[in-house]
Amino acid sequence: MNAGRIGATTVAQLKMMFRRRITLFWSLVFPMILMTLLGLLFGRSIDAGTITVIDAAHTPASTAMVRALGQTTGVTVKHDQTEVTSAQRQIRNGDREALLVLRAGPGATTAAQLYYSNASATQAGILKGIVSGVASQVSLAATGSPPAVTYRPTSVDSSALSYIDFLLPGILALSIMISAVIGLSTVLVAWRKRGILRRLKLTPMPLSEFLVSRIAASLALALLQVVVLIAFGRIVFGIHISGTAWAAIPIALAGALCFLVMGFTVGSLVSEPETADAVTNVITNPMMFLSGTFFPVSAMPHVVQQIARVLPLYYMANGLRDTIVRNQGLTHVLPDLGVLLAVTGVLAVVSLRTFRWE
Amino acid sequence: MIATGMNAITVDGLTKRYGEHVAVDGISFHVEQGEAFGILGPNGAGKTTTLEMIEGLRKPDAGEVSVLGKPVWPDPRSVQGRIGVQLQSTSLFDKLTARELLMLFARFYDRKDGAERAATALALVGLEAKADAYADSMSGGQQQRLAIALALVHDPDVVFLDEPTTGLDPQARHNLWDVIRAINVDAGKTVVLTTHYLEEAEQLCDRVAIMDEARIIALDTPAGLIASLGADVRIAYTEDGREQISYAHDAQAAVLEALEQAKVRGTRVEGLSVRGPSLEDVFLKLTGREFRG
Repeated sequence: MNAGRIGATTVAQLKMMFRRRITLFWSLVFPMILMTLLGLLFGRSIDAGTITVIDAAHTPASTAMVRALGQTTGVTVKHDQTEVTSAQRQIRNGDREALLVLRAGPGATTAAQLYYSNASATQAGILKGIVSGVASQVSLAATGSPPAVTYRPTSVDSSALSYIDFLLPGILALSIMISAVIGLSTVLVAWRKRGILRRLKLTPMPLSEFLVSRIAASLALALLQVVVLIAFGRIVFGIHISGTAWAAIPIALAGALCFLVMGFTVGSLVSEPETADAVTNVITNPMMFLSGTFFPVSAMPHVVQQIARVLPLYYMANGLRDTIVRNQGLTHVLPDLGVLLAVTGVLAVVSLRTFRWE
Repeated sequence: MIATGMNAITVDGLTKRYGEHVAVDGISFHVEQGEAFGILGPNGAGKTTTLEMIEGLRKPDAGEVSVLGKPVWPDPRSVQGRIGVQLQSTSLFDKLTARELLMLFARFYDRKDGAERAATALALVGLEAKADAYADSMSGGQQQRLAIALALVHDPDVVFLDEPTTGLDPQARHNLWDVIRAINVDAGKTVVLTTHYLEEAEQLCDRVAIMDEARIIALDTPAGLIASLGADVRIAYTEDGREQISYAHDAQAAVLEALEQAKVRGTRVEGLSVRGPSLEDVFLKLTGREFRG
């Protein structure tokens, strides 16, 4: 190995990489678009819906209920001049979400009646829960006695991890995987098919040096992805980046190396560029959805959780998430690092056995 | 320095088989230093396989080959620093400029003077104006010249060119001939080229080996090969639709005689041409077939 020669070749590899706009798109721009889209779709807490209120009671209790509903997050209160019957029809047709009618009941009581449609069962369930909760609160307050049970919902994510915080490391892992697997497998197949490897065989430089320079350039790209995508999340979405984020670097490098060797394995088994594309898609697409990159694995069926645990992307996403947004240091993610390096080792043995230059 | 009197290339009994098919069948020849040596033959004659065994890309099944006094096999790397190769179908890396490619290749040979070497090689192939252009933006002829520049960047003693002008238009072909002459005559390098263009071999080569069906069927200077026909002119015509080719010393006498005989037979002579013989005629005489590149 000749360090100076590898260095100069790595620089040339980086030039070839970055002068291809498609590389920059897939490695940097596409993840930003994906993060923005998913952030907009799922980023905010769930919107419970709009309740149209007809307050025909005008009692202190009815006023208190309307006020309490208005203060509930996710609920929009609408005061409309409308007939109950036409509002019911609108709910059936999906033009209105729910109608709350408050009437004076017998004695000093207030009768609250909620009209909803089971066509949107989840939303109806949420609205029923909210209205019944508000009604109980107001009733209890009217008695003047202290509540027998006090209730306070508390999130287990101490740092109040929002969806976009969860998403950033997942997308970073995903984009490093795609750049590495597709990047190395396609160039390898193209170099072989176009006779470039044959031409290089006529120079005194060992082809292994050429390969090492390509891997070095790809690792540099992975580092750039870490820096650029974290900065993007911080600036555009105001994501709180943990002080332990530096520990994401070894995870990102080990993950990139793992997926580079995976790309190398594909590139050594396949001879046509189209086949390489198909094979990498078959490998990366399921991994993308099963590894907890977009949504927590814990929210998925048990079987999926079991599958996730054998996928390297799961460990990379996990390691990146722990270090970048969960304030965990390197020691905490050593198991993830170990798994990634172990998979790298196994794949390296397999691919070196099957590899051919021509 | 190379010891004087040593052959640039010595090939002895070189053989390559692919299963039942014999691609190169025990050929022997030598190339002298400073010579422009051509291997001429139709497609599939074994030219490229021969070249690739000398370059160290393909291992021969039998026979010996040495370059500048060193055996190529079993360790081709021992000679690869001294030879420069343009392969028949190398596409280059895209997204590197000609200059960057040349400097990268100079680095492969561990040369630190890449910038100067790149400039020299570009000048030699007349590609200075395209120094900062990407290979994929160049014409076919320019790409071929770049491939030749890459073969020259480490200042090799022997340069191999595998069908350098195939696929080029006549203008680009003639430009490339000037480049090849410059490499051979001005830069003093030994040049070995394969071609299926008779005219190219005649124009560029000091000596030509004619290959057909895995064997060398003739080897001499172009003039020597033509002289072996024992004729000064080639007379061709069609007589009642049948093509007639004959060779003679005295053009006037031969033409008159042909016309006379046709008159006697009462046949019609058309498309009469008289010219000096070429390598095409040598091939026809040796194989009984017309040369088809």
